[in-house]
Order: sequence, then structure tokens, then C-alpha cells
Amino acid sequence: MSSTSSSEVDPSGSAAQKCDIRVLCLGNDLLGDDSLGSMVAAHVRQFAPANVEVVSTPETGLHLLDYALNATRLIVVDTVVTGSAPPGTIYEFRDTDLNSLPGSSPHYVGLFEALAVARHLRLPAAEQVLILAVEARDCSTVGENMHPAVVAAIPVLIKMVRDRMSAGVGDIAPNKKEIAA
Amino acid sequence: MPEEKEQILHHTWQEGAAKANAGYTRRRITIDPITRLEGHGKIDIFLDEAGQVERAYFQVPELRGFEKFVQGRPAEEMPQITSRICGVCPTAHHMAATKALDSLYRVDPPPAAKKIRELVYNTFMAEDHALHFYFLGGPDFVVGPDAPPTERNVLGVIGKVGVETGKKVIAMRRRWRELIALVAGKAVHPVFGLPGGVAKRVTPDMQRQFQEVAAEGVEFAKFTLQLFEDVVLKNTDYVSLILADVYTHRTYYMGMVDDCNRVNFYDGPIRVVTPDGKEWKRFPPEQYLEHIAEHVEPWSYVKFCYLKQVGWNGFREGIDSGIYSVAPLARLNVSDGMTTPLAHEAYQKFFSTLGGKPVHYTLANHWARLVELLYATERMKELAVDPQLTDPAIRVLPTEKPREGIGVVEAPRGTLVHHYQTDENGLIQKANLIVATQNNSARMAMSVEKAAKGLISGADVPESVLNRVEMAFRAYDPCHGCATHSLPGSMPLLVRVRNQSGKTLALLRRDFDGSVHRE
Repeated sequence: MSSTSSSEVDPSGSAAQKCDIRVLCLGNDLLGDDSLGSMVAAHVRQFAPANVEVVSTPETGLHLLDYALNATRLIVVDTVVTGSAPPGTIYEFRDTDLNSLPGSSPHYVGLFEALAVARHLRLPAAEQVLILAVEARDCSTVGENMHPAVVAAIPVLIKMVRDRMSAGVGDIAPNKKEIAA
Repeated sequence: MPEEKEQILHHTWQEGAAKANAGYTRRRITIDPITRLEGHGKIDIFLDEAGQVERAYFQVPELRGFEKFVQGRPAEEMPQITSRICGVCPTAHHMAATKALDSLYRVDPPPAAKKIRELVYNTFMAEDHALHFYFLGGPDFVVGPDAPPTERNVLGVIGKVGVETGKKVIAMRRRWRELIALVAGKAVHPVFGLPGGVAKRVTPDMQRQFQEVAAEGVEFAKFTLQLFEDVVLKNTDYVSLILADVYTHRTYYMGMVDDCNRVNFYDGPIRVVTPDGKEWKRFPPEQYLEHIAEHVEPWSYVKFCYLKQVGWNGFREGIDSGIYSVAPLARLNVSDGMTTPLAHEAYQKFFSTLGGKPVHYTLANHWARLVELLYATERMKELAVDPQLTDPAIRVLPTEKPREGIGVVEAPRGTLVHHYQTDENGLIQKANLIVATQNNSARMAMSVEKAAKGLISGADVPESVLNRVEMAFRAYDPCHGCATHSLPGSMPLLVRVRNQSGKTLALLRRDFDGSVHRE
């Protein structure tokens, strides 16, 4: 991460580097299936070209604002627990596919709210945001092993990230897709 | 937690849940977040035969397996492990863990190290309090509790305070975060606290940066308090809401103070006052187990903290009930003032406006948070000009054999306790954490129940109940952060009304976009 001195503060409020594509891997490597993000990040770093920044963070809420800025495209990798699909199911969608404003429960401010705030304040938010999320089983047990189906989704996800990095985001994921790993 | 204990607790939970369901099958309302499952922020409201609220149960999420995970690990890893587990307040865990290591190795850090720690900590408190006011609590008061649901969000707040103010908040936050990173490294991977001191000294150049940002921070805090006065205090509806009986509880309060009983976030004794505002106890943090006990209910994984010597007497208010509260309002209630001039002025205005000490209005937490924001920024300013800050002596190396250590700080959401026991090689044998949300859990449960009783009658569930019941616990800012990064980021709610046979009479659903639907 780059950091500027306070006298050179970027009014955008971003602490992230400027880049073409940022692969933002969310999740906590201490919490079972939530390790997914950091594992994917470790692999993607090995082949990411110079114009791609790979970030892995367990941060939450508006702290994600920093990572939503100063990248033309954002590819987000995360877990999701909907309970309505088997563990390991991969979802692919754009932020615009959710057709939603920030939720009305202020305690649950997250990535989409951070993006909305950035755009509303006319900060340099990512123009295109693609989300690759994997259905998880347990993200609340410290030190727990990952579910085998979530582990099995990792190579699929890495390939998807590689493909999406080389393709234009505009060419893919016109609607929410569900892909069983 | 040992496996056997976990199994017993699980069994007790199943048994209790079955019992509760059997006892309350007459009518049941469930307010349930449907994104993150398994008890995260779940509210169950049970109606009696007359259709009135009989009991309401509130559960906050709890991470599992922590105690087991840390067993056998070197104690020195605890500041890193605990700060990584919590994505919401990593600096608070890092600091409590670091202080626990001081205690474990019986080592007293040099003055510069203590001042650097306190400076970083106040910077973190300022950032967290500001973010909470504008983006988490703001929709309740800045936008208003009765605004259309689609406006009650962070964009609604920006709409009300203006884009320029929104930019100011974001920029200020970034400056504070950069300062923390300058000394402590990344918030989620801090390399800062060590037993007996800190890892990095503050150079004169860094000190100048702190001075510059601290001065801006004080102005920002003053601006925010003025905004609160203009938007909230000048609105009689909002003031009535703060003073409403439905959001009022006469309980004990707990918080850290300095030698003169003034608010301190980093170090000092713990003070507890009675519901009448009289000092009940003042004890060193190391004695917390003599004063705090945990009550377990069969319907919840959450442990309910209470004052051991008063006793657990159910979910009741008053001097005979050991239930207490922590967080900004509690900290002001237990203190005799603030050490910094502007914050002390704000403190006096707070109590003179709200009828003197102690203030029992839960929603006053939002105002108290801003008084503390001003204190944190002023305290930063004081520490940033302290000549001792740049002293290169920043660590005393531990020489004692480790055995047991307790570290306590005031986290943004209240008193945070880290307690470790190790073998003589410093490997963790037992770890106990009491987090702020746990300290507040009993009073939060009472708040939810009281709000539900005042708002719900039979199957007639007004839409406003979704927000008003949430408001009852949101003022405490309970930490749901451990699981909230996952998609989607918002929390839809479901209110279900059931008759005696379990048939759904009414279903009220709030979606991601804040729209409410009846089915």
C-alpha cells in the first residue's frame, strides 16, 4: 500500500494505489470458509500483471472504501452465506445487478454502501465492479477447516479471475449467474 | 471453549429453545436478518394470548472456537490474532492484548511508549466515533427515524449534511488512519504493541504530522457537535425521542477513569456507579473477576454480564439488579468530567441539558459519543506536543517469567477485557475476553423488549417497528462486524406473526433497498 504524507492528502480519501484493475479478496483467514479470499489472493498474485493490484483484507464496512477507489475495474472475491445454495456454489454478478440502494440497516454498511458513498461524493470510484462470491458454510468459527466444497471452488475461482482480468468487464456477467463448482 | 462445555451449551440451547417455543407457541414474531444466518442479530418477540408482547429475545453474533484456537500459541501472538479476528475495532483488541502482555510479563513500559500508545489509541477512537455518528447512527437522527426507509441510509445522511461535509468526513478519516498506519502499521496487521513498550518510536517529523492533524481533528469535532446541536437538539421531535421512556433504563454504569475520576480510554481504574449516580465500586482492572460475572440463559449463546456482588435478578432495572451498561453514555456517567477544556464544556452541557447525572436515556449515547470525539481529538493535540513523545526509550525488555496477564481498555463500544494464563514458556493455556457488546448484552435485551412492548400489539405490526426496535440496540453499537463483510452488505429484516398453531398471520419483509413489503 502506498501512503502519502498528510500534507499531500488525496482528497479522494483513498489509501490504495492507482491501478487499472484491483482484485479485492475479502475474508478472514482465521475464520473457516472465510479463508477463501486470502487463498485466492495468494494464487492470483503469482500471475497478476503489473497493471493489476491484488489486495487481501479482512476489513469490513466503510473501511472498504479505500479499496473501491482509484481503480478502473474492481474484481471482488468473497464468501456469502445465503443458505439457499450448496457450499461451493459460485455467484457472479456486477454491483449494478443488485438493483439496490444501500440497505436501510445502518449497522450493516458494507462494500456496496462504500461504493455508493464514493460515487455520491464524486470520488474516483471504480467504474466497473464484478463480484465473484462463493457460498460458504461456516465463517464464524475461529481456526475451523474450510468446507471441502468451498476448497474445491478455489481453482475454478482462480481461473475465473484470470479470465475476467483479461476480458473487458463489460463483456461479461450481464446478469447474476450461479455456477456450481 | 472446551469441547465438552460447548456440547453442554449446545444441548442447553436446544433444550431452552424448544422450551421457549413450546411455551410461546401462542403467537410469535420473529425479526430475523436473512443474510448472515445462525443467530446474527436475531430478535424473537413472543406475544401472550391477548396479543401483547410478553417477552423479547435479542441475540448478537458470537465467534466460536476462539479459546480453543489460541491454546498453546505464544502469548506474543495475541495482539496480532485478536486484531485480525475483529474487522471493526482491531486497534482496541491490539491495545488490550498488548496491555495484557505487559501484565503477563510484569513489565512497565517507559513514559514515551505509554504516550505513543495513548496517542495512537485516541486517534483510533476519534476515527471510529466519527464514522459511527455520520454513517451508522446518522440515519436515525440526522435523517430521522420517520424518514422513508429508502432515505434512511448513508446516502440520506450525505443528502442532509451536504456533499462537502461528506467529503470532509472521508478526508478526516483518511488522515487519522494514515497517522495510525505511520506508527502502528496496517490496522488489520499491526506491528506496534510489544510487552513493555512499542515497536517504533515517534520521530520529530511524525510528531509534526500528528500536531497538524490533531489541530484539524479538534475543529472537525467542534463542527460535528455543532451539527448535532443544529440538526438534533433544535428538533423537538428528536429530543422527545431521546427522552422517551421506551428508550430509558435505570441501571448501573461502568467505565475506565483516571486518578481524578475523569474519562480515560487507555488506562486507569474501573469505576461503577449506581442507578442513582453514586460510586458503587472503583477497582483496578486486574480485579475484574471479583466484580463481573456472567449469566447464561437457555435461549441464547450470549453471556449476560452482571455485577457479581449485586447479583443476577433477571432482566430488571434498579439498584437491586446487577445489570450494568458500558459505552460512551456509561463512561460519561461514571466520570466527574473530562481532562480537556472543550470536551469538559461539552460534558457539562450534556448533563445540564439532559437533567443531571446519571443520564439513563439510551439514545443519548449518540451525543455522548460526540463529547468523546472532542475529547479524543483534544487529547491527541495534548500528546502530540508532549516533548517526551519523541524519546527514543520506547521499550523495557521483559525479564520475568510469564504466568497471568490482564489488559483492559475502553473500546469505542465500551470496556474491553483481555485475560491470559500461560505456562512458563509463555504459551497460552487459557484466554478469556469480555467484549463491550457482552457487557451491554443484558441492558440491550431489556431495550429491545421495552421497545417491542411499546410498539407492537397483536398481529398489527406497523412498519416503523422494524426501525424503532433496531434503534433500541443500535445506540449501543453492538459489534456485528465479524461477519458483515460478506455479500450482501446490508441486513434485511423479516417480521413474522404466528398464531397458536404456528400459522403465519402476517409477514413484514424489508429488502436490501429499504423497501418494506407485506405478504
